[in-house]
Amino acid sequence: MSTVTDSLSPDAPRSTATDNSIEHFSYDDQIVRMFVTATIIWGLVATTVGLIAATLLVLPWLTDLLPYFSFGRLRPVHTNAAIFAFAGNGIFAAVYYSTQRLCKARMWSDALSRIHFWGWQAIIVAAAITLPLGLTQGREYAELEWPIDLFIAVIWLFVFGGNFLMTLINRRERHMYVALWFYIATIVTVAVLHVFNNLVVPAGWFKGYSVYAGVQDAFMQWWYGHNAVAFFLTTPFLGLMYYFLPKAAQRPVFSYRLSIIHFWSLVFIYIWAGPHHLHYTALPEWANTLGMLFSLMLWMPSWGGMINGLLTLRGAWHKVAADPVLKFFVVGITFYGMATFEGPMLSIKSINALSHYTDWTIAHVHAGALGWNGFMIFGMLYWMMPRIFQTSKMWSPKLVSLHFWTGTLGILLYIIPIYAAGLMQGLMWRAMDETGHLSYPDFIETIQAVVPLWWIRVGGGALYVSGVVMLCINALMTWMARPATYEVPVHSAPRLSANYQDDEKPRTSPLTDVPMLEVGKKIDSIGAMGWHRRWERLPVKFTVLTTLAVVVATLFELVPTFLIRSNVPTIATVTPYTPLELAGRHIFVSEGCYNCHSQMIRPIVSETKRYGEYSKPGEFIYDRPFQWGSRRIGPDLAREGGKQSSFWHWTHFENPSLVSPGSVMPSYQHLLEDDLKFDAIAPHVEAAAFLGAPYSEEDLKNTEAVARRQAEEIAAQVVQQGGPAAMHEKQAMALIAFLQRVGTDLFRTEEPAAGAEPVAGDADAAVTDAAVTDGAVTDAAVTDGGEAAAGEEADAPTADDDAAEGGNDQADAAEGDESA
Amino acid sequence: MIKDLVSALDYSLFAQVALGLFVATFVVIFYGAFRLSSQATSRFASIPLSDDVEDPRGE
Repeated sequence: MSTVTDSLSPDAPRSTATDNSIEHFSYDDQIVRMFVTATIIWGLVATTVGLIAATLLVLPWLTDLLPYFSFGRLRPVHTNAAIFAFAGNGIFAAVYYSTQRLCKARMWSDALSRIHFWGWQAIIVAAAITLPLGLTQGREYAELEWPIDLFIAVIWLFVFGGNFLMTLINRRERHMYVALWFYIATIVTVAVLHVFNNLVVPAGWFKGYSVYAGVQDAFMQWWYGHNAVAFFLTTPFLGLMYYFLPKAAQRPVFSYRLSIIHFWSLVFIYIWAGPHHLHYTALPEWANTLGMLFSLMLWMPSWGGMINGLLTLRGAWHKVAADPVLKFFVVGITFYGMATFEGPMLSIKSINALSHYTDWTIAHVHAGALGWNGFMIFGMLYWMMPRIFQTSKMWSPKLVSLHFWTGTLGILLYIIPIYAAGLMQGLMWRAMDETGHLSYPDFIETIQAVVPLWWIRVGGGALYVSGVVMLCINALMTWMARPATYEVPVHSAPRLSANYQDDEKPRTSPLTDVPMLEVGKKIDSIGAMGWHRRWERLPVKFTVLTTLAVVVATLFELVPTFLIRSNVPTIATVTPYTPLELAGRHIFVSEGCYNCHSQMIRPIVSETKRYGEYSKPGEFIYDRPFQWGSRRIGPDLAREGGKQSSFWHWTHFENPSLVSPGSVMPSYQHLLEDDLKFDAIAPHVEAAAFLGAPYSEEDLKNTEAVARRQAEEIAAQVVQQGGPAAMHEKQAMALIAFLQRVGTDLFRTEEPAAGAEPVAGDADAAVTDAAVTDGAVTDAAVTDGGEAAAGEEADAPTADDDAAEGGNDQADAAEGDESA
Repeated sequence: MIKDLVSALDYSLFAQVALGLFVATFVVIFYGAFRLSSQATSRFASIPLSDDVEDPRGE
């Protein structure tokens, strides 16, 4: 129990009689215990589901009779559980524990704390139920549908954010420590990201269509997706690091100056970097370049933070040898350094050309998630549990050490083979023989080559999960050793005076009498950082400024992306999906096909040779959500339309190995057995029409009949090609309709329907490029820098290259050393 | 009004302005951070270690 008599100190600020009355308070550790328990439980769930997902890649037949648990549906369960359930609850445990102690104040509202806890668990359970049911937006890390998204916004911003901000306002510690700055940045930025990325038009209670389409949807999604990593998996963990590492080491943070630079640099830079996820895609090149540049700059503050963390242990390394908590922190921070070096490296276009869509990205992500996020949480939990459960120590310190070594080995056994797999995939996909043909034209070859490495990954994952099991046992036994009644220490401190007068002596500048320009003296005055010191005492102002930094940075990328007409050149032959194709696309999204199949052919020779003409931005104007994907466990589908017969697709759903021997795709037998709800298609068409897709009166009024007619046509094709009869009612018909349509509009030559209004860009900006309407450009044209742009205004070149134009240069750059 | 404003914007400079904006901010923060007194920074850095209410002021 501490009794603080700061007001009696001769150095104390003068305050009014009412201000310096002593208040007594206790910390709410019950909410911390609740979040700690949730973190441990969800940690076990998230890692176990990840292990199952990894196993499904090597044994895909395991889900043949369990469509709800196929890889495509399970992978989002794993990612959401890992990020929002495990890491999320870990963040909240850290915030609730450290904020109260840094503010010398109990959380403002116990009720809000409990609503936050139960609300967040309800969100996680809702995700765990809806995602296996195929209720998904189909956008990575933003899969949850709009009712859950609304609930998240309320719980995150108003309940958690409101409670946190009010605690800051009512604090008894004048200065806001740097960890609190990171928490502020996390709360406001995640709120902004979540709200603006999830703006949808509902098509029923369980389906919403993004207000963004195609290129803009991709931009918004990766603005969100990258910054989910930044502001959910980085900034709160840095706050955690800045609080718990000094506590565990009993040493102050190495450099407070560096922490200031670290904070503002991260907040200001991170938000720009999203486009690096979309190199060589149909996103405008200027956006990619800007994203790459800021990603490279991101390396500096990230390593500043890592150095600040590691050097906090200066003079205390002997403690690291003996204390497993510090071991967890050291390895966690080291993985942060590794991941934040590799991230900028992967954002370099020429490296990204090799790494993107491969397992390299998966290894990178897991180095960060398992090493940085996982180990920082484990270290924090092991430090915190004896304190919140009021036991002298963990039940078994030896088991803590065993967890550390098992986990470390597990991470290495996971990432090393997956790095190798990623490199193999990237190199095999682009390998050419001496005649200029692909060395591995069959995509299956490139997957079968890495399956043994996937098996090793399963072993590494199993080790990591076993470490989490050790944590569960140790936590349970420690909890069982708790006292019958928890002690609640009462603390005393005076309220902060509302009219604080800094008693700092007026700083006399050494430049006062120096004959120099007044502007120099002004710069010297600004450099004294008195203004920042004031910000650090004003939580509302600090919050507003942080929000401003994030929003301004966002607008610099967002405004041009949405308003430059040439960003998304219109292609006259691109028309909306038919009602049945739209239903098929909905199935594609629901099944999570984007988790294995991209729909984005980059302007790289090996890709155009393997898949066909590279993707143009104008092809995606009706794609809500975009389905470009970020990983290729299966081949790209951007030009899938017309490649195979309808019966081939039917057989492929039934048993992929029959038509693709060696495929790791599971059976989708249920699509062949379950009837399509034709009467449920209309809301999807209405939502698309509401968002600007020019559907005919017939499509809107007789949606079901139009869809049935097309389904019957496809069913007839299947019969003609040797397939079963009377299957026009099945879901597979819709998915086949969609797959046969994908990527074909670019090559159609008929005139667009009368009255069709292009959606992306103004009608007067619509330009039909001969190279597009006349068909595909040759590979030679691509490599030779031939013009293949869709819709570039020849008489008005701008700095804002459209993606297709930029693609030619990019292709050269990416393939520059292929001959070698 | 808004349409006129938006159409008058020169988007081609956005990327360069963004970069300049960041560099300027970074320089100010960097310069300022290293002007902080050691006494102040060491006191701030020690906040998590202390169970007493601190009210850092003069340097």
